[in-house]
Amino acid sequence: MDIFSKPKFFTNNTKGENAELLVELNSEYRDRRKDAVKRVIANMTVGKDVSGLFPQVVKNMQTEDLEMKKLVYLYLMNYAKSNPDLVILAVNTFVKDTDHVNPLIRALAIRTMGCIRVDKILDHLCEPLRKCLQDDNPYVRKTAALCVAKLWDLDQERAIDNGFVTTLQDLVSDSTPMVVANAVIALAEMQESSVNKDVFVVNVAIMNKMLAALNECNEWGQIAILTSLAEYQPLDSKEAESVCERVVPRLQHANGSVVLSAIRVLMIFLRYLRNDEFTNGLIKKMSPPLVSLLASAPEVQYVSLRNINLILQKRPDILQNDVRVFFCKYNDPPYVKREKLEIIIRLCNDKNVDQILSELKEYASEVDVDFVRRAIRAIGRCAIIIEEASERCVNVLLDLINTKINYVVQEAIIVIKDIFRKYPQRYEAIIPTLCQNLDSLDEPEAKGSLIWIVGEYAERIENADELIENFLETFLEENSQVQLQLLTATVKLFLKKPSQSQEIVHRVLQTATQEIDNPDTRDRAYVYWRLLSTDPQAAKAVVLSEKPPISVDSSADKLSPGLLDELINNISTLASVYHKPASTFMGNKAFSADAVRKAAVADARDEEQIMGEDTVTSPTAPAASAPKNVMADLLDLDFGSSEPVSTPVMSPPTSNSKSGPNYSADLFDMSSDMSSGGSDAFGGMGGMSGMSGVGGLNIGFQQSQSQSQNQNTATSGSSNAFGDLAGFGGFGQQPSAATASQQTQQQKPTQSSTVNDLLDLF
Amino acid sequence: MIESLFVLSPTGKVIIEKHWHELIPRRVVDFFNDQVSKAMAEGEDVTREDVLPIIASPKYQLINVYRDGLTYLSPVTKEVDPMMVFEFLHRIPDIMQEYFGQVSETVIKENFVTVYQLLEEMMDDGFPLTTEPNSLKEIVPAPNILNKVITTMGATTSVSTRKMPHGMSNLPWRKAGVKYNSNEIFFDIVEEIDAIVDSTGKAVSCEAHGTIQTNSRLSGMPDLTLSFVNPRLVDDCSFHQSVRFNKWESDKVLSFVPPDGHFRLMSYRVNLPSQQNLPIQVKPSINVGANGAKFDITVSLRNTDGKPVENVVLTLPLHKSTTTLTAQCNVGHSEAAANAGYNIGVEFLINSHSLSGLKVDVLKLFNESYKPYKGVRTMTKAGRYQVRA
Repeated sequence: MDIFSKPKFFTNNTKGENAELLVELNSEYRDRRKDAVKRVIANMTVGKDVSGLFPQVVKNMQTEDLEMKKLVYLYLMNYAKSNPDLVILAVNTFVKDTDHVNPLIRALAIRTMGCIRVDKILDHLCEPLRKCLQDDNPYVRKTAALCVAKLWDLDQERAIDNGFVTTLQDLVSDSTPMVVANAVIALAEMQESSVNKDVFVVNVAIMNKMLAALNECNEWGQIAILTSLAEYQPLDSKEAESVCERVVPRLQHANGSVVLSAIRVLMIFLRYLRNDEFTNGLIKKMSPPLVSLLASAPEVQYVSLRNINLILQKRPDILQNDVRVFFCKYNDPPYVKREKLEIIIRLCNDKNVDQILSELKEYASEVDVDFVRRAIRAIGRCAIIIEEASERCVNVLLDLINTKINYVVQEAIIVIKDIFRKYPQRYEAIIPTLCQNLDSLDEPEAKGSLIWIVGEYAERIENADELIENFLETFLEENSQVQLQLLTATVKLFLKKPSQSQEIVHRVLQTATQEIDNPDTRDRAYVYWRLLSTDPQAAKAVVLSEKPPISVDSSADKLSPGLLDELINNISTLASVYHKPASTFMGNKAFSADAVRKAAVADARDEEQIMGEDTVTSPTAPAASAPKNVMADLLDLDFGSSEPVSTPVMSPPTSNSKSGPNYSADLFDMSSDMSSGGSDAFGGMGGMSGMSGVGGLNIGFQQSQSQSQNQNTATSGSSNAFGDLAGFGGFGQQPSAATASQQTQQQKPTQSSTVNDLLDLF
Repeated sequence: MIESLFVLSPTGKVIIEKHWHELIPRRVVDFFNDQVSKAMAEGEDVTREDVLPIIASPKYQLINVYRDGLTYLSPVTKEVDPMMVFEFLHRIPDIMQEYFGQVSETVIKENFVTVYQLLEEMMDDGFPLTTEPNSLKEIVPAPNILNKVITTMGATTSVSTRKMPHGMSNLPWRKAGVKYNSNEIFFDIVEEIDAIVDSTGKAVSCEAHGTIQTNSRLSGMPDLTLSFVNPRLVDDCSFHQSVRFNKWESDKVLSFVPPDGHFRLMSYRVNLPSQQNLPIQVKPSINVGANGAKFDITVSLRNTDGKPVENVVLTLPLHKSTTTLTAQCNVGHSEAAANAGYNIGVEFLINSHSLSGLKVDVLKLFNESYKPYKGVRTMTKAGRYQVRA
């Protein structure tokens, strides 16, 4: 060995490391050659160019040493793209290797050939691939199966012409489960990119083959099989039952992805089941594995929680007794806490509400401000969902207000406003406590909430006029949301106590119409003014009309049934994490805006009665300024915005404005603006409603209709305007919309002005 | 399809990248780093762990796992099962741990070639291929020195030379022709207690997560049946591939042909009732004044069947604004280092104790004639165990 150290030292100094490696690669000793190849690979990984050594490295490919062979293959895969001509040097060895006695080497050769994504090699790939697909050894066959997908990816025609697709389809019937699994993986992958979508259609025969292989193949194979099983449409309830029975054992797998894939199959097949007893049994079996997923790494918990959220919307009977496991630990990452909180609310019922309330109260004393706010909102949602518990919730909220922690107080007031809307006339006794905190409010939504309460209960609050007066001092400086509330509250006050407040209302309307540029505020002031001056009775009927309470079925955080079903079909995908169809955030951006709209239109069909003709057709004017069919986009808003609200971080990227998701982000922005921009001509609850979404729309629209019937005096034009305004008030109002929308707003201030213009036109 | 993997250092530099499909340019890492630092700039208390595990970029969905200072980033261009990606990404450090004893930037750099070979074996064209450590060790040899250590420790001893890869025997997880001079099998039952305890000592939520880690050194094709005294305790469980699920469903016994060497036979979860007697009681009393606060925490032993509780560690995170801190302990020692919401993290360990009460009854061996040495150890320790003050 010593003899060699001298020249090595010498070459090292003169020609650099590559020259030295060159010598080593040609060494007569196998060990030295192997070490040299290892060094070549090491250099390659750190980015040094060792492509010059290609012929020497490839020469070492012909060896019985498996490790050496693999190293050479690694090198080949890396440099094949940059040296396509040289790859041909290796082809002979590859082809020879696919005939090797050792199945491992045959498999390795065919696998590597497939990974060298160079056209030239394709000519030489087909023959060996054909052989390997028919190999006696299952290990070789399973490797070859995947190789067909690689070939397909580069040249579909060649794969079809050579009959590989058919052979692959036959492999689904292979006797070895692993081969079946790989054939399924390859076919599913090819199906996705095939033009006619006829590469892999799951029929009864294929389904049975897959079920037979399911138990025996490894975890990744199981995921693939379960994913493909979900595509199958059972003929009847009986068949669906038997599939479910075969899938249930997969819930007991340690791999979370297997569990969730099995849950997807079960959730889809549940639709076909007609046997209630069986269905209930199945649902019972689904809970424990879902709970167990929560003991995994936080990322796995996150995906699980987002999916559990969907599952609960579809099947509220799952996990009924397991609310405890969703309680947050203080060191859970914030994204996990947020999702747990959502689930806790979904699981809230009259039996566990006390337990949940004390838990939420605990959260409200944590340090993470965002989480504290969400916890307080959650208390409000408890009160709205469970009537019997509303008093306890209010008491908890009062306790929180007494902490005098500023953001806690503000959030609590916003929440209490919603409780007032749900249970009118029930908790007026707490109004004085709320008013004590008047001076500490600096957030528009909290301020607006308190002003709304004062306006709504003006007749019971002795010093209502003083309070309003107090707020009016800073009228011009206020955020438009607060201005709108003040405007409405003042009009309410005037209608309820005309004697005390004539002067105030006059002053407010004058200021609003003359000094405020915001068209929202200004126009509403005009509407009020005209109403009051033409027919005070009509004004009363409009402004003080009885508002429909917030619906228990808080539609804001519920997905539309159409979208929900689509997402259930996609449990354990990115779509299920985003709660959006994959087309809105993935892949071909050029089409995605279109896809968004399509999805929205499809959804809108579900909601047809809710939207009504009127709203769809009226805003034709803004359509000219916006790129495409705005109405469809607006529709989309509603569905698009309902999920990023609960997870604001996930709102689509905002970097370049041409891409699809961004388009929807713009829309979003509009939605948030509209919601904050108010439009609640009828009593001023729209802008800050806690619950709404589609439900909100519904309320708004119906209301406007009933209104227009009531008031004969109002011109038909203005009543139409009300309809629209009220309708749009429903857009994008979600409990946590504020945080999400504020973020988006700050990022893109320019858009909000166009939004205002749009609103103006409405 | 998992197209690519980037392993990033704590500073966001690429340590290794691997592309199983098309090449994804490194730019994506810059975008990712920007998003991470943006997220962390949102609040004082935001740490790297708080960054969302799925981040959208204009072209890719950046799926990432952060573990021990390293980021495992997988950008995907097509709809994918994120759970699968996470499971797979977690396997990478798991396997490196098995191979190198630890995972860090330096360790990866020192073992570039092995890591590359592993990544190549673990995935084929974006689909996970071989991820079982036992099978991988046959295909990719562990680094030499460690190999020796492992040999002396007995993980891969006198097993006859194998030519067939795992996927080729009748049982994919067990190779043929295993032979030991002394046949033995060990079960380690480790229970981790996840609990939230309120200030009165009542458990708000409490569950035990147990695993049965098995080290099998048995010759031939042993067929084992392990039964428990009280299997009904288990609320949910998952098994190693080798366990016959039907047998568990019908008889509540574990029937299996074990793989050779170390493997996790079973994981289970037991929901513990809120009146559960927890092994230790932590009673905090906190007085916050204008110029400081005093925390008195009393820890007392309860219900351990006379087994000693070891390695008790209490962590009381304080707010960042804390300036000075003194800590005293009656027993043991304390470390003071200056986060609020007074929650106390608790760690402890109790040997030969199972809080859930799960007990192994008998292990029976069929199909082979030898009598193996059998060993069972149990241990209970705190998992995510917190006391609210």
